[in-house]
Amino acid sequence: MNPMDELRAARPAHLGDAPVDEGTRARELTYAMSHPRKARRGRKVVWPVWGISLAGATAAVAAAAVVVTGTGGAPPSAPDSVAQPAATATATATKVRLSAREVLLAAAEKAGSQPDEMGAWWHTSTMQRTLHQVAEGGYTVVERQRSEGWTSSATGGEQGGTYQSLGARPATPEDEAAWRRAGSPREFEVKVPGKPRAITLSTSPRKPWGGFSPLVDGDKVFWLGRNVTMKELRALPSDPGRLKAWLLRSYKGHDTESESVPMASDPWLYRVSTGLILDMPVTPEVRAAAFRMLADLDSVKVIENVTDAEGRQGAAVAVEEKVRDSVMETRLIFDQETGRGLASESVVVEPGDAHAGHEPGTVVGTTTVLEAGWADSRP
Amino acid sequence: MTDDQHRFTGVYDECRQRVWAYVVSRSGRQVADEVVSETFAIAWRRLEDVPDPALPWLLGVARNVLRDTIRAEARREALAQELRAWTEGDVADQVTERIGVLQALAALGDDDREILVLVAWQGLSPKEAARVVGCSTAAFRVRLHRARKRLKQAMEPAGPSRPRVRNNLSEEWS
Repeated sequence: MNPMDELRAARPAHLGDAPVDEGTRARELTYAMSHPRKARRGRKVVWPVWGISLAGATAAVAAAAVVVTGTGGAPPSAPDSVAQPAATATATATKVRLSAREVLLAAAEKAGSQPDEMGAWWHTSTMQRTLHQVAEGGYTVVERQRSEGWTSSATGGEQGGTYQSLGARPATPEDEAAWRRAGSPREFEVKVPGKPRAITLSTSPRKPWGGFSPLVDGDKVFWLGRNVTMKELRALPSDPGRLKAWLLRSYKGHDTESESVPMASDPWLYRVSTGLILDMPVTPEVRAAAFRMLADLDSVKVIENVTDAEGRQGAAVAVEEKVRDSVMETRLIFDQETGRGLASESVVVEPGDAHAGHEPGTVVGTTTVLEAGWADSRP
Repeated sequence: MTDDQHRFTGVYDECRQRVWAYVVSRSGRQVADEVVSETFAIAWRRLEDVPDPALPWLLGVARNVLRDTIRAEARREALAQELRAWTEGDVADQVTERIGVLQALAALGDDDREILVLVAWQGLSPKEAARVVGCSTAAFRVRLHRARKRLKQAMEPAGPSRPRVRNNLSEEWS
């Protein structure tokens, strides 16, 4: 053996790749993110959480994958208010293409008449679920991650929140049977597309962590084709045509996630405006305008009788996208009674290599909005 | 949770233990957590500068943090203790043959040891490792070649008297 091979083999165990302990991880992440970000120009800064799973093609898997790296999970038996795993949540969807426009216009009416009283903090509470195929044992697990986001409405304020992985569990009863046959492991390796190394998920929850940092440039709160201030967000046009024109001023012909990936204006508008409906602090009139704007896009369709991963009934407005070698559908699920956004989902339509083990119709990633509203103070 | 926070967490989970292991091999365990903590605070602040793969960049930052924040004297003491731990087998799984290699590594100078650790334990290519230590790839290859030679000599049991652990500052930070 040459000296380098001997040296490689002699690495002391404590310098190996054992996972960092939870307390250290939570402390270091919190410490790092308590520092202000360096200001930058031209790039997106503040994606609300839906952006991750929404960016579906590039992100539902790719970005969610980043999230999942090294995160653990809750025991399969842990109590959970959600009865159904992501994989089975939308089995009853029926497509009603003709009424798409009417469904969206009706939602606009409901959304426009919701109450709105601004507070000191915009608060969102979301649950993200991501499917992973376990390398050994041939079963699929779903990992759940909970986040709380807080954004100050004041110039010079802060933005931040907490974040926790609740652990991974077998996705369906069949997966659970396969997991038991594999010896009911509490940890399993999953392969994430685009990552060289397999990552280890656990059935146990991880410690929550989080932190607050000053708003980007002192006043930018969210990304909407470009970074916007709370004031700009609250003053968006409530006319659908003018809203569309306002948003399209930031459209440069490419994907929201990558300047080298071309993107048509309809899917771009859909992706950017999802936040207006789902979890951004816009006025009810602007949320209504977003529904009306979507109603006029040819490439979106409406799916009625959809159930989100929390078991809530609604309708979905959806677009199809080619993501690498897969065709994926992104769905924005909303409550037809109130026009409120409930969830965004990424669904396999034609599985390519990255989704080889997923049947068409499988929801591979979903973010549900549990709460989005104003508060007077943050914890 | 913003997209940046997601990305940062991903980088942290992928690289944290590698950065920690590098810092331990340079300065021991006592100061490692502090240096790692500062390294990731810088990575967060400059997230848009963090390339993919992130590890070589992070190791370069950790190297600067170590130089700028930890007194040379404190570093030397902590490192001496760490190197003793490698070779005296306080690490549970130590096997006798490995101890010989680790003793040889501990006996080398800081520069040689750093170069060998970056390549053998961190798995960096000469190009990536050269960026960490701040020299050209060609210069790094030469230094790696010499370090390997000295490691081999130090591993030979009947060899001439072994070099001792050196504490030469000018050499450390070159």
